[in-house]
Amino acid sequence: MRPASFEYHRATSLEHALELLGEFGENGRPIAGGQSLVPMMNFRLARPGHLVDINRLPLDAIEIAGPVLRIGALTRHIAYFDNPWIARHFPAFLDAVHYIGHPTIRRNGSIGGSISHADPTAELPAISVLYDADIVARSVTGERRIKAQEFFLSAYVTALEPGEMVVAVEFPIPPAASTGSFIELGERSGDFATASIGISLEHGGGKIVRAAMVCCGADLFPMRAPEVEDFLVGKPLVNPSGAEAGCIFAASIDPVDDHIASADYRRGLIAELTHRAIEAACTRALDKS
Amino acid sequence: MIDITLEVNGKTKTLSVEPRHLLADVLRQEFGLSGVHIGCAHGACGCCTVHLDETPRLSCLTFAAQCDGSEIRTVESIGGPTAEHALQQAFRSEHGLQCGYCTPGFIMTLMPFIEEMVEQKRLPDDDEIREAMSGNICRCTGYHGIVAAVRKAVNLGLGGGI
Ligand SMILES: Cc1cc2nc3c(=O)[nH]c(=O)nc-3n(C[C@H](O)[C@H](O)[C@H](O)COP(=O)(O)OP(=O)(O)OC[C@H]3O[C@@H](n4cnc5c(N)ncnc54)[C@H](O)[C@@H]3O)c2cc1C
Repeated sequence: MRPASFEYHRATSLEHALELLGEFGENGRPIAGGQSLVPMMNFRLARPGHLVDINRLPLDAIEIAGPVLRIGALTRHIAYFDNPWIARHFPAFLDAVHYIGHPTIRRNGSIGGSISHADPTAELPAISVLYDADIVARSVTGERRIKAQEFFLSAYVTALEPGEMVVAVEFPIPPAASTGSFIELGERSGDFATASIGISLEHGGGKIVRAAMVCCGADLFPMRAPEVEDFLVGKPLVNPSGAEAGCIFAASIDPVDDHIASADYRRGLIAELTHRAIEAACTRALDKS
Repeated sequence: MIDITLEVNGKTKTLSVEPRHLLADVLRQEFGLSGVHIGCAHGACGCCTVHLDETPRLSCLTFAAQCDGSEIRTVESIGGPTAEHALQQAFRSEHGLQCGYCTPGFIMTLMPFIEEMVEQKRLPDDDEIREAMSGNICRCTGYHGIVAAVRKAVNLGLGGGI
């Protein structure tokens, strides 16, 4: 349970990191919090030849940049708890962070690492899909933005190319009249989820005018639920038919059957979490008004 | 091999490490700090928790090479050889340990929590205490004794006892 040999490089600037990553290609990897990469290396599930340590780069700002909230790749999970913009604009995000691991993991793990690691039930990938975030990736050849919905391809597989690094994740700020929630269930608190549901709703005149929903645990990546999103438009905040929405969604998925839960159990769980997440989001909007 | 300088429990030392050497192993082998316990080596048990530049950190998920110039504290820096710190004494009186394997990790995880509570002048409820120590596994005590020890240590701190 010790890693294989590799060469260690401490990046002194973003340009330096990109040069090193460009040079090493498939054989090089950034190391951020190390909270997912080092376990993989200790088990020898990952054997990179070169690690590029990006921890001393100034990439941990959370800032409003025009219509988006831009979160630097090295922002640690703990930073969201007392961030006023997250609390005000992204209630599902704030809910979700409470479910990430434990205090020590949250102090050290970063959003860039979580997004790039792409565990199928990790919270920050799900939240980026829910809120239609852009993943900002850079390499020596330049910068590109990838829609979160196009970024997560399968379990631990993303659209990042060798030599590319995530520098930020940008979340479009929802309109004022919006609400949201995130609920998950795992085997133990702090473990990765068996299933989770995130909801984000815009409302007006006591009714839902736009809906987004994300689900982890139904597939190998966080998936949106377009049928439920359509179904919810026009529903009242008081009694938004969450149970029915849960049934509609559960009928449309084909979850895995494994040692943690059977496919039937997962389907039932996802239906119930959908119901509860919708109710929680609507209750929050009603409490505010 | 890479040359690094670490300040560990107040003593500074320069040494050569292989990039793949975990901080936990270097602290045990090069610094003789056997209080750094390695349980699972993948971040799940919390036994190897130390403070890296004043922040709790799993030393099994950290390469020593990353820590050049850093300040590290291990359980050996707390309470002296007879473990006199109020939290350590509370672990003893409240039966917060049995075999003791997980104890250094719990102490290092909980120190900043206790300091924060004392600073905020409030006694946390049991749920909060359990959340603060949720990253550490203990197979002997069933956790009740540890929760009681944390409560006692915070209480003592609030009365000026830490
Ligand atoms: C006990 C335990 C419990 C956990 N529970 C949860 C949980 O419940 N939910 C959850 O979401 N996570 C959980 N985690 C994982 C944690 O959130 C990690 O912090 C996160 O997944 C990875 O972030 P990191 O900064 O540690 O990345 P690293 O481990 O440093 O890197 C992970 C991967 O991303 C790559 N990478 C890192 N940064 C970048 C970047 N900027 N650009 C491109 N690639 C990059 C690395 O090369 C590597 O492949 C847990 C971890 C542990 C040890």
